[in-house]
Amino acid sequence: MIFKIAFKNIWRNKLRSWTVIIAISLGIFGGLAVISTATGLSDMRQNNAIRTYVSHIQVHDSAYLKYSGLNDVITQEKGILSFIKKHPNTEGVSTRLRIESFIQTAGGTSGVILNGINPEDEKQVTNIAEKLQQGNFLKTYKRKPPILISEKLATKLNAKIKTTIQCSFTDANGLSATGVFKVVDIFSTSNSMYDEVNAFVRLEDLQAISSVYGSHEIAITLKDEEQVERFREELIAHFPEQHIASWRGIAPELGYADKMMDLVMSIFLVIIMLALAFGIVNTMLMAVLERKKELGMLISVGMNKRKVFWMIVWESIFLSLIAGPLGIVASYLAIQFFGTHGIDLSFAAEGLRSVGLESVIFPTLNANYYILISVLVVSTSILSCIYPALKALKLNPAETLRTA
Amino acid sequence: MQAPSTTNQYPKISPMIQASNIHKTYNDGKVKVHALRGIDVEIKEGEFTAIVGPSGSGKTTLLNIVGGLDTPTLGEVHISDTNIAQLSENELIDFRLNHIGFVFQSYNLIPVLTAKENVEFLMLLQKRDEEERNERTTKLLKAVGLEDQINKKPNEMSGGQQQRVAVARALASKPDFVLADEPTANLDSKSTANLLDIMLRLNEEENITFVFSTHDQRVIDRAKRVITVEDGKILSDETR
Repeated sequence: MIFKIAFKNIWRNKLRSWTVIIAISLGIFGGLAVISTATGLSDMRQNNAIRTYVSHIQVHDSAYLKYSGLNDVITQEKGILSFIKKHPNTEGVSTRLRIESFIQTAGGTSGVILNGINPEDEKQVTNIAEKLQQGNFLKTYKRKPPILISEKLATKLNAKIKTTIQCSFTDANGLSATGVFKVVDIFSTSNSMYDEVNAFVRLEDLQAISSVYGSHEIAITLKDEEQVERFREELIAHFPEQHIASWRGIAPELGYADKMMDLVMSIFLVIIMLALAFGIVNTMLMAVLERKKELGMLISVGMNKRKVFWMIVWESIFLSLIAGPLGIVASYLAIQFFGTHGIDLSFAAEGLRSVGLESVIFPTLNANYYILISVLVVSTSILSCIYPALKALKLNPAETLRTA
Repeated sequence: MQAPSTTNQYPKISPMIQASNIHKTYNDGKVKVHALRGIDVEIKEGEFTAIVGPSGSGKTTLLNIVGGLDTPTLGEVHISDTNIAQLSENELIDFRLNHIGFVFQSYNLIPVLTAKENVEFLMLLQKRDEEERNERTTKLLKAVGLEDQINKKPNEMSGGQQQRVAVARALASKPDFVLADEPTANLDSKSTANLLDIMLRLNEEENITFVFSTHDQRVIDRAKRVITVEDGKILSDETR
């Protein structure tokens, strides 16, 4: 009967109850929408970084990281590659020779890192091949060795496809070396800062020009992202002389962004729950004050205060049980829709690219968040109706019957 | 389902109210209001008693104290062998549930429940079983002439009908006596007469004790005992 009365009580003032229900639902929807968008942005930034330049794990010679010496190539390259390729969790592995170079065309100059790669291997590790204007990933060329530059660098150098580019650097012998390449395609990733300072040539071309026969970097991607640290530990155990780092170590800012996102989400959740709490406190306090006489009557005729307390608590639980699922279902549908179709932010594409983001964002939300929100909504509604319920308990039945 | 333990805690008593030297003073800031100034009253089982007097004479205060809704500043109220002043707040609520029926001036039914549910409500608090609840609810609503209104909510009934539901509700818990505070104050002549007929019939046929406050002459005329209160004191006590 207490449930029945509590449930019926919330419909005594339909307008007020629906206002509260919609407010709570919108609060949940807004909170989850922001959290899912932020998660989508964070995931996108992380995935873009991993798929564009960080990969899951990188192997370097320890000296290379300290001195960036041209000759500090990976000494156990063959053994490492063999181990990686045999590992069942390996998705792709690519070796890179990285040389800082001065690059020039008739139209401009710039400093870049020339990445000597094996295109077929690199395809397994990064998505540069998917970001090309014409799809020529150092495959087709005539006479001059091919080079890929980014759209941003092309603009800076006033270059386009078929433009000849001259790259100058110091070779393995400390002598000045120059390579002449022809632009065979232009790429554009979601990270304009990366684009500006990276160009790609074939590994064998760069090795021939620089006289460095080996690689500075082995980049690995895994099938199961969760196994990154375990894989890294295995590698370290087998090749302790090498410097082996996971993406969190290589680009700690991505990890920080993750932690930052957790903090932002927590703050949003607190804001949502506070809004919910104030809404419920206000509504239930109004409901108690409006019904002083009735509550006084209930206590007079023999309804004990524990039951009165729980009647008020159930009223707010019912409000949140209606509002919570409404908000959560609406959020789920919106997140599913936009998670598939994306939110187009083309108008801010340049700004987003400068921080490694694409212009179409795909919101995503871990299922745990829905459970967490549900639990929080019910707990908050119980906690926030305690004050109004205690107010009801303090009513003096004779007083309320006389004055209300 | 069994009857509540509270019924066992307070075994069915011979309905007798004994109020001795009741004083009640309200301290409203600087002003002290003496609502009752030494009332002594005894009400026996089966009485049909009207407490009458002008507004502010103290009749509602006396009823509230007798019903355990308010506490006297001085004096004691015994309902049979129980000194209700010695009961804790929760015990007092249980005591009211199991021993006293209340009828209020403005009906005070639960607006979201039907007539049947309103009558059934106290029996649910007493944890009486469904069969007993249904049987008693039907019987009581029939007794007050509302057997065809059982599914109506208070706002679908007239004032007289609501007050009859309130009487049925007051009797639902099988109380020792019923306290009614100006039960006809909001009713027209016809409804007043109808309600009085029902209360008198229940009093005479089922020996239910009614104590009610009123200043309605139509009610006073039909009371079997009239206690007149004025300025917080009993002015007269007439049994007819």
